[in-house]
This record gives sequence, structure tokens and C-alpha cells, in this order.
Amino acid sequence: MSGLSVGMFLFLVSVGMSLIFGVTRIVNLAHGSFYMVGAYLMVTLVEVLPDRPWAFWVALLLAPLGVAMLGGVIEIGLLRLIYRRDPLMQLILTFGLILVIGTLVLLAWGPDNKSVPRPAALAGSVRVFGQPFPSYYVLVLGLAPLVALALWLVFYRTRWGMLIRAATVDREMLGALGVNVAALYTQVFVFGSALAGLGGALAAPTVAVALGMDGDVLTTAFVVVVIGGLGSFAGSFISALLVGLLQSFGILVFPAVSIVLLFAIMAVVLIVRPWGLLGRPEQ
Amino acid sequence: MPRRIHYGTRALAILTGLAVALAAVGPAAAQSKAPIRIGEINSYSGLATVYTFPYKEGLLMAAKEINDAGGVLGRPIEFIFRDDKLKPDEAVKAARELVGQEKVDFLAGCISSGVGLAISAYAKDVKTLYFATHCQTSRLTWDDGHRYVAHTTNNVNQYVRALAKKAAALPYKKWAHISPDYEYGHNVWEEFIAYLKQLKPDVQVSQENWPKLGETDHSPYITALLQSGADAFISSVWGAQEIAFVKQARPFGLFEKVRFLSASVGNPDELDPLGKEAPIGAVAPGFAWYDDGMQKRHPKLAEWVKKYEARAKKGPTLGASWGYASAYIIVEAIKRAKSAETDKVITALSEGYEMDFPWGKVVMRGCDQQAVPPQWVGVVKMNPQGKPVLADIEETHGRDVIKSCDEVAKLRAAAADKKK
Amino acid sequence: MPRAGWLGLLVVALAVAPLALPPFFLQLLTEIAIVGLFATAFNLLMGFGGMVSFGHAAYFALGAYAPALLVKRAGLPMLLALPAAPLAAAAGALLFGFFIVRLSHTYFAMLSLAFAQIVFTVIFKWKALTGGDDGLLDVWPPAALKSPAAYYYFTLAVVGLSLLALRLIVDSPFGYALRSVRENPRRARFIGIDVRRHQLVAFVISGAFSGVAGGLFAFYNGSVFPDFAYFTKSFEPLVVALLGGVQSFYGPLAGAFGFKILEWLVSRQWPVYWPLFLGSIVIVVIVVLPYGFVGLAGGRPWRTRPAAKA
Repeated sequence: MSGLSVGMFLFLVSVGMSLIFGVTRIVNLAHGSFYMVGAYLMVTLVEVLPDRPWAFWVALLLAPLGVAMLGGVIEIGLLRLIYRRDPLMQLILTFGLILVIGTLVLLAWGPDNKSVPRPAALAGSVRVFGQPFPSYYVLVLGLAPLVALALWLVFYRTRWGMLIRAATVDREMLGALGVNVAALYTQVFVFGSALAGLGGALAAPTVAVALGMDGDVLTTAFVVVVIGGLGSFAGSFISALLVGLLQSFGILVFPAVSIVLLFAIMAVVLIVRPWGLLGRPEQ
Repeated sequence: MPRRIHYGTRALAILTGLAVALAAVGPAAAQSKAPIRIGEINSYSGLATVYTFPYKEGLLMAAKEINDAGGVLGRPIEFIFRDDKLKPDEAVKAARELVGQEKVDFLAGCISSGVGLAISAYAKDVKTLYFATHCQTSRLTWDDGHRYVAHTTNNVNQYVRALAKKAAALPYKKWAHISPDYEYGHNVWEEFIAYLKQLKPDVQVSQENWPKLGETDHSPYITALLQSGADAFISSVWGAQEIAFVKQARPFGLFEKVRFLSASVGNPDELDPLGKEAPIGAVAPGFAWYDDGMQKRHPKLAEWVKKYEARAKKGPTLGASWGYASAYIIVEAIKRAKSAETDKVITALSEGYEMDFPWGKVVMRGCDQQAVPPQWVGVVKMNPQGKPVLADIEETHGRDVIKSCDEVAKLRAAAADKKK
Repeated sequence: MPRAGWLGLLVVALAVAPLALPPFFLQLLTEIAIVGLFATAFNLLMGFGGMVSFGHAAYFALGAYAPALLVKRAGLPMLLALPAAPLAAAAGALLFGFFIVRLSHTYFAMLSLAFAQIVFTVIFKWKALTGGDDGLLDVWPPAALKSPAAYYYFTLAVVGLSLLALRLIVDSPFGYALRSVRENPRRARFIGIDVRRHQLVAFVISGAFSGVAGGLFAFYNGSVFPDFAYFTKSFEPLVVALLGGVQSFYGPLAGAFGFKILEWLVSRQWPVYWPLFLGSIVIVVIVVLPYGFVGLAGGRPWRTRPAAKA
């Protein structure tokens, strides 16, 4: 059960990274930083909003929007200037962003650890097969498939989704057909950032909101995205579940090697199927 | 291609020349009435600032008091701060600059044990006295101890033993633990269980958990602890990671089913953010300056806290008290040596001395140059304002639990054997 | 002044530096030389081979740990232990590189990162051998090389010879074949170049010299730590090479110089702001200075053209 909810968390946290790569070919290393900003915004929003039951949900909605705006500014102000260059340059730029955002968060929120209390209705636990299971994880277990479903609907049932899928296959052709690819990139980057922010906001009540949470989540999200296939959102879903389960059980079965195992699996996937379990090989 | 290479070489030559010229006119030599300079290396950027900022406040507060009162040996003291970026090699580099360029008289600092041990090894090599301050590994002055290192604050051995002493008084036989899988986590668990078994031979270990340092999801360990059959468990997970652990364990009712002891949950950097989600009933060491019993036992404490708050605009932490004490302990050694010369100060340190602080007596033990302060263990409770605090404080002094000088000598001999 | 003149001036300036500079600046120059070698070795891949590794910390760390372990665990003297640095690093680079060079672009970077994280985790976890988190301490050079000036000359000599070797490699037929692989792998294949093999050889050479840098750094620092293999360390040569300019052989050296001096100046005064500063510089260099500061010195027009495709 807990492995399942961990997997769902991982999915929410990593799917945005995968989406951004799929369309723009940017490996966004600042994804963890966006996640951190989402969590810190959640802290501030919960503090600022009146102490009512709805405040948590409003904050959960607003925090990702804030991160989406940040993502938009970065995409338009920086990344757009270098799309013509080697994609690795963009990757390095996002590494610079990690340092910048990390310091700005320290300056804005100070060094102290923060925390967001769980909403009262979800503070306790429910019984599942006679075992206690935290209610908040029920929310996550419910929300993640909803997000996955929503993404699926967007991708496969809207024109915008069709364009995105087209962009992952052949961007030049899409541009030649008169689609404004630059605008599409911005939209996707903003959308992916919002998902990172949502991951951070949703995780905030279960962890400490603290400096350094960007790095912790980056490595795991990275592994999930690479195993699932950069750009494949179904791949992210399955690989998040796999990694979640591996973390939950693997840790108990082979504690000494579990982290090495994670990276080893990532390496093996890259060697055998570089495009990931469900990704698509590049032309 | 050759064109660009050409410019590269030229740029490099010009830059090198500039640097040579700049550095040749370095700072002038120190004057005789000049301040006593202490190079302070700590983690002043990034994620450890939650600890080092209050520590630095305490240190600067003491330095100001000392200098306002005329300094030491008629000379003011001055701290020159450097950031170690939480990396031992950066710390060694900073130490090099402080000793070689800034000509400091002493080195001080550290929050990470790795950093402390690295500076200590460097200090031994260049024969400069190093006062380790905020890091806590016992190896500093014991296994890896030498005459050029002194430790001005608590070490793991003392507060873990104080906690184990409290644990021995509790009616629990079967123990489990959760410790981050690196040096510190192993240290705490080994020291704890060894001392507990010494005090109470029928203690059993029912289950062990070793999450990685910085793990964010603890549910597998929480489940394992629930099913372990243990009566109690000790955690040496700390900081953000422990906050996450506590928040995740609460809904499982872990703290109601298995008694929780923790090496760090009693500190405000964890209790404050946890707020209503704090683990009530947890047994933990901590610096509960706000506690009535503490203030009664130490009448000067309230006034010190007021002074600190006026300066820092928030309440002190254990680290703040350590920064404050460290400055005074260093100055006392210089005062006793009647000199800032390394060898004389080491002689003063090796003779040992005691100092009174607003929170009680701190012994600087001569044989290992290790500070032995009072130890407090309390229980996490809610105060009437609904804030979690450490209450029911029991005080033992470090000297009642710490390994003896003989034991330390054995540790050092064993470590020296191992090196050969 | 002709190129040889500038080079001569540089050599003379470096040779007399110990007469003019206080020890700390010699140590800073020592470190700059080591980082410069690391970045130049890295740039053999990036600048000349068009392969961007995000895991070069692994080879730096292997080069640091191998001689440190020989000194600490087998009691060898430094000069006998040091040759293990390039050997261990080259062995690691051969093992990992065999798989890494099969991939291109982003996946190349990802896999190199994954291997580096494995190396990091093993070093961090294998406490009995590596000392885990606390690292290995007291790894000092012999007395004759211990003084800042002596180790400075020693480093300069080793780095100088390494750079000469790298320079010869870059200018050799192999170096030109490597460039052609960078510019157009398909065409390179048509004219009979074994692309994979060339890439792998370059990877191993680059790894070996990264290992030399790691070994020099171990004895300079007197200790080795798992940090050496952490992914943030992998970004160091990348940032340094970018700062200096990846298109030029000496760019990374100039970058190392600028980077270390800047770091020293900013970090001692405003530690909190250093990451902000570094991050901003990385961003600015990528956006407006694709040829780094050396490109600027060379009067390159500020135009962006698609960089060499990997």
C-alpha cells in the first residue's frame, strides 16, 4: 500500500519533467527547484490564508499557479533564447537555475525548516486490511490517477494534446505546418512547471519544507523519468510505481544495495533501451 | 582554430601576470597590539544555515562581550569567517587560506563531522591549534585525537549516553532503532545500545532500520517498526529528514504503540515547524532554556536568553549556546596560557579547566581537550499556548557519563595500531 | 607578440611565481592547475569530441581514491601510488565508457551521470574500504614535496606534461578524426573512421587525465572524500570549460583560472551569495557568450550559431 502511494507521489513529481523533455528536449534539472518553490509557496499560502478548512485546498491550487508563472518567466526570458543551440546547453542552464533558485529561496524564506500541517480531515488514518493507512495518502492515491487521467484526456482528446504529441515526434514538420511551436514550448514548459509545483505543494504536508529538498527529489524524479522513458507519460506512471515499490520493499530486502540498485537499473535501462520502457526512440 | 588558441594563451598569460602582481602586494604583517585572529570555518551557505546562523549569532555575541570588556591579554579577538559549503575539501582549502594568508592564530568551526575531521588532520599537519565547535563526532578528540585539536562542545558519546541512561530507567526491554546510514547514524546507535546494555544487561535488539541520509519517504521503516514488537526505539535521523519521519509516522499511530526516543527531535529547528504534529511523549535531549525548572536551576539563564533575543530577534538554540560558549572557552585557554602562542595555549588546555556558563558548568577536560558540559533530557509536551516544548527536564553532568581518560587512551592506542 | 612569446611569458611567470607569491596563492595556483587539467581532459570530449559527460566526477574520484587507498591501506609512498590514479580512472572509463559511447546526445549525458552516481554510492557506502562519509585523511606527499612551493612545481610539471600529451593527441590524426566524428559522425563513418572506437578511446584518455587531476588533488588536499564523485562535482569541469570557452584547447585553463579566483573572492566575502553568483554566471555565459571569455578576448562576434551537434 505505502509503496503504491510513494509511486503515485513519484509520478506527480516526475511527470512534468518527462512532459517538458518530450516536447522541448530539455532535461530540466531545475525541476526539483520548482518542486521546492511549490512547497515553500504552500507554506506561505497556508500561513496567509484564514485558518479555515478550505484554505488548504485553495493553497493547493494557487501554489502550482505560482510555480507555473515562474516557469513561464524562465522559459520566455531565458530558454527561448537558446532553443537553436545544442539541447545540452539548456540542460546546463537549468543547472545554473538550481543554484540561483536555491539561494533565492534561502533569502526569501530564511534558513529555518518549515512545515505545512495536514488538513484536519486528513490528519488521521483509515484501516485498510486491518492495517492503519494515513488518510492523506488516500488523497494522493486518488489524486494521482486523476491527474494521469486528466493528462490522458488532454493528450488524446484535445487539439492541444494532439499538437504536443505531434511535437514529440517531429517538431520541424509541425512548425512547417504552420503551428506556432515557440508558443507551444512555452505552454508545455509552464504546464510542466505547474505539475512540479503541484508535486511540491502536495508533498509539503508529508515532509519538512527545507533547503535541500530540491536535490532529494531531483535524483529520484530523474531516475523515474529515465527508466520510464524521457517524454513518455505512461512510461513515467509505470516506472514511478516500479520505483515506489522497489523503494518500499527493496529497502527491506536488500538495504545495503537499494540505492545502488536504483541507479544500476537506470543504467541498464539506458544501455538496453535508452529511450526507456515506454519511450520512443529518436529518429 | 590556431587563432582562438592564440587568444587563450594570451588571456591566460595576462591573468597570471595580474594575479602575481596583485598578490605580491599582500596584506602587511600583523602588529603587536593587533587582535587575536581566529579563523572560523563553517557552513554559511545552503542547507546547514538553519544551524550555523544561530551559532554565529552566539559566537559574535560572546566576542562582542569579550571585546567590550577589554579583550584578552589586552588584545581584542577577531573571528574571520569562511564558508565550507558543507564539503571537507572546501574546508581544508579555507583552513589553508586562513593559516597561510590571513595568518590567523587559531582555527575554529565545523558543523559536519567530515569537515571537523578534515580540518583537524590539516591542523595537525601544520601545527596550528584547531577548536572544533559545532560538529559532534567523538572521533575528533578520541580515536583521531591529537594535541592540535580541542573540542569546545558536546560530543556524541555524552548526549547519547545521557539519553541511554534515561532509557535504562524506562521499563522497556526490546529496542529498535532508525538511523541514517552514514557515520553519525552508526555512531549514535552503537554508543546508545552499548551503554544501555552496560546499564541494563537484559536489553534486546528487536529490529534495525537504516534509511539513507536525506531519504524523504519513511513508510517502509514505519511499517517495520510497527511490526517489530519493540517496546521502544531510538532515532538518530535529524533535521528535515526527522521532521518528515515524524509527520509520516504520526498517522500510523507509531508513537502511541512504540515509545519514541530521539537524539534531535527536542531541538527547536524540528519542534517549531512540527507544531501540532510534534511527537508528544518523545524522550529527547535538548536545550530547554524556556523551561521553568531549567531557569530555577540556572538563575542567570533568563537574563542571557533576553540578551540573545535582543540581538538575534528570536530565541536561542543549542547551537547558539555552543557558539557563545566556544568563544569563551577559546579565550579562557589564551588567558590561562598568558599568550596566544600555540604551544602555550595547548599546555593550558592540557591542564584542563572549568567555566561557569548561564546554563551550568562546562569542564574542559585536559587529557583529551574535550568539553564536558551538562546534559539535559526531557519529554516533548504541548505548552498551554499549544506549542511543543521539551519539558520534565532531567539534568546529568557529562562527566558522570563520558568515557574516562583511560578509556580514551585505549581508543587512541587502538586507532594508532590500526593505522600500522 | 607571437604565440610562442606569450607562451614563454606564461611559463616564466609561473616559474618565478614562488619568488613573488605568498604560499596561499601558490596553493591557489596549484588548485587552478589541477582543476584546469580536469577541465581540459573533460573538454577533450566536449570541445573536440562533441560528447558531454555529466559524470566525470567518477574518474576524478577514482583517480583520487586509488592512490589514497594505496597509501593508506598498502603503505606505498606517494610517488609509487600516484600512477594508480590514471590507471584506475582509465579502467573505470573503459568499463563505463564502453556502454556510454553507444548512446548519443542527452542519453550519453544521462548514462555517464548514472555511472557516476553508482561510483559515488559505492564510495559512500563501502565504509570499511573507503572510510565512507568521513573519507580518508592524512594522505600527504613525502616531505620533499610537502611545501607549497614544492608541490606547486610538482603539480605544474605533471599538469604541464599532461597538457602537452593532450595537445599532441588533439593535433594528431586521431584528434582530427575525433573532430570529424563531432562534426558529422555519418560522414566520418563513410570515410572509414570507426566512430565508436574513436569515441571510446577519447573517453578513456579523458578519464585517465581526469584521474591524474584527481590524484594530484588527493595529495594536495591531504584527504579524499565521497564528494569528489558527487554529481555537483561533475558540473565543475563543465562550468569551467564553458566559462573559458569550449572551442579552444586552452579555454578550460583560462576558465579554471577565472572560476577559482572568482570563487575565492566572492565566497570569502558573501558566502550565501556565491551559488547565486555562480548560477547567474553559468546562465549568462550560456545565453550571451557561447565561446566563453576566451571567445570574448579573441574578439569573436556575439552571434549564436547552432553549436556542434553531438
